[in-house]
Amino acid sequence: MWGIFLESVVIFKNFMGWHENHLLAGLYVFALLYLWLTEKDKTKRAIFVYAPTILLLLFFCPLFRKVFVRIMEDSETYYRLLWLLQMSIVSAYGLIRLMGRHRRIGLAVACLVIAACGDYVYDSEHISQAENAYHLPQEAVDIVDLIAPEEGRITVLVPADLIYYIRQYSTDIELPYGREMLIDRWDYYHAMYEAMEKAEVIDTPVFAELARTYPCAYVVLKEDREVKEPLTDHGYSVYGQVGEFVIYKDMTLQDQ
Amino acid sequence: MSETVSLIFWLLAVPFCIGVVPTNFIAKKWRSPGFVLLSGYFVMWALFEISAVPAVLWVEYDNFKTASAVFTVLTLSLAAAGIWLLYCNQKAGKPGLVTGKSKSRPEVSEAEGTGKDNDKRVSSTGGMKARAAAFGKWLLRGTGIEWLLFFALLGFQLYKAVAYASFDGDDAYYVVESLLAQEAGVMYRILPLTGGSTGIDVRHALAVFPMWIAFVSVRAGIHATIVSHVVMPLVLIPLTYLLYYEIGRLLFARENFPVFMILMAAFQIFGNVSIYTTETFFLTRTWQGKAVAGALAIPAVLWLFLLLCGGKQEKEAENEVEVEIEKGKEKEDRRGLWFLFVCVQMSVGICSSIAVFLVSLLTALTAFVLACVRRDLRLLFKFGAACIPNLIYMAIYVIVAYSYLL
Repeated sequence: MWGIFLESVVIFKNFMGWHENHLLAGLYVFALLYLWLTEKDKTKRAIFVYAPTILLLLFFCPLFRKVFVRIMEDSETYYRLLWLLQMSIVSAYGLIRLMGRHRRIGLAVACLVIAACGDYVYDSEHISQAENAYHLPQEAVDIVDLIAPEEGRITVLVPADLIYYIRQYSTDIELPYGREMLIDRWDYYHAMYEAMEKAEVIDTPVFAELARTYPCAYVVLKEDREVKEPLTDHGYSVYGQVGEFVIYKDMTLQDQ
Repeated sequence: MSETVSLIFWLLAVPFCIGVVPTNFIAKKWRSPGFVLLSGYFVMWALFEISAVPAVLWVEYDNFKTASAVFTVLTLSLAAAGIWLLYCNQKAGKPGLVTGKSKSRPEVSEAEGTGKDNDKRVSSTGGMKARAAAFGKWLLRGTGIEWLLFFALLGFQLYKAVAYASFDGDDAYYVVESLLAQEAGVMYRILPLTGGSTGIDVRHALAVFPMWIAFVSVRAGIHATIVSHVVMPLVLIPLTYLLYYEIGRLLFARENFPVFMILMAAFQIFGNVSIYTTETFFLTRTWQGKAVAGALAIPAVLWLFLLLCGGKQEKEAENEVEVEIEKGKEKEDRRGLWFLFVCVQMSVGICSSIAVFLVSLLTALTAFVLACVRRDLRLLFKFGAACIPNLIYMAIYVIVAYSYLL
């Protein structure tokens, strides 16, 4: 039980970004304590003070966590219980009550504290200037435009960099494996993925044979990807190049 | 052009007209255009759950087309009912369904009695100078600067949502599900990650929010990925702030509304303390059902708790006489709120199946606490009854998930 409790503590710390010195949780706890002491309205006290406090206690309760994980069959989403606290609303409510009549100076101070304790979302490494209306890398769009069939669907083998995006642009392109292979903790095995991504140097004969079992009409490789023998020696021809990606077409499929 | 008109029709006009229906059954003091639009969305999403979930489970071929047809009929019927209610209401000379104001006696709201009072007088006397002076006064002494700051923050978020792309791995699942529905006309029968065929993955299949996006995409004739990444943030971010505004209306006197809104915006912008917070979800994966659950649906539950069990204290209410009159009709006036509460619970279901469990827990816990502090055990039964759709949802989940055992 103690171990489960400690796991919940770690989840809470990770959720609130304590390991990166983010202190918004402190602001929330401060607001909650302030509301504990000052909120007189019964309904608001129940919704913004009692219910969140009980939820917090439940979150850290090992027995509750065991039941939750058993019901959900998933321990990875336990952090979502903290969504019920609605920290922003409770914190903002507490802060505004604390400000009283000092509205403007209070607002300025509160905003500074939030900025200092929080983390600017648009600094995220996952956010970048959009390259098109789809918000997908332009290279993915260009590759699909180049190889998309006029009718029907084709299977295409693409590098990990493109896996997330290809089918967001066109579902006429099928993949031998998808995003599930890129998540290490899921630890899936896929022979094609091993041959394509894990091998330091692509073993071309084995690779080509595997790709034809799907069959992959096109293979997209980064131009600097090392291969034992050129794909062109194994029935492929260079169909085009988009940025750093070289597109190979399997000519043997055309013959069938 | 036709795409824009379609988007405005399905994302603004239809939900607005639908929202009139529950608004007809609430106290006029709570009526506002924001309330109507929010209500419309929650009712519309509840209708989508009714239309799409049975189709996912029991229609084998073209299940998206079937769900879309049913949903279209239901939404347009309810929107027509809303228009009819508006017409009847106006004909009968009752207080407006959208504004809550009477035609015969213009009611002076708090805003008009304070900050905007000057504007009214100025507009009657006319004159650009006087108008400018009044605007300056509102800006400096009223809440003008705060509102300008909030709208700047909102505009900034919308600009970032459109001009910047946010990468999220889950898009390879959710956005592709929307696109599959749009391009192939099927829901949850094709593996989004690779394209192979598949059986129903109940955890995702009951949370049909991507299918609603697909519906909007089909009706507007816009690629589902563009709708997800560009159109949805333009709709869902303002809608979420609209909800925060409505919550603010219940919690604060008018001069504190913009302060609350600015603080909420600041929390969203600086809430990226980890990848798990609702704030991070809200601004980095706005179009995903779980983000809507965390930022919009769960706060909506709190909003309705405030509306149903208390809300603004009487001393802060807009008009004390009005409060007294309203008290007599309290029960009648809350029918629309209870209906809305049920719809919010159902809306959670289209966002995320885990969120259904979470929201049921939140509802049960908050109802229990409220029942204790107000010494009114009936609250437990009322809120319990409002959760029946969630119980049905969870029962379907369990039956489908464990059907292989039968």
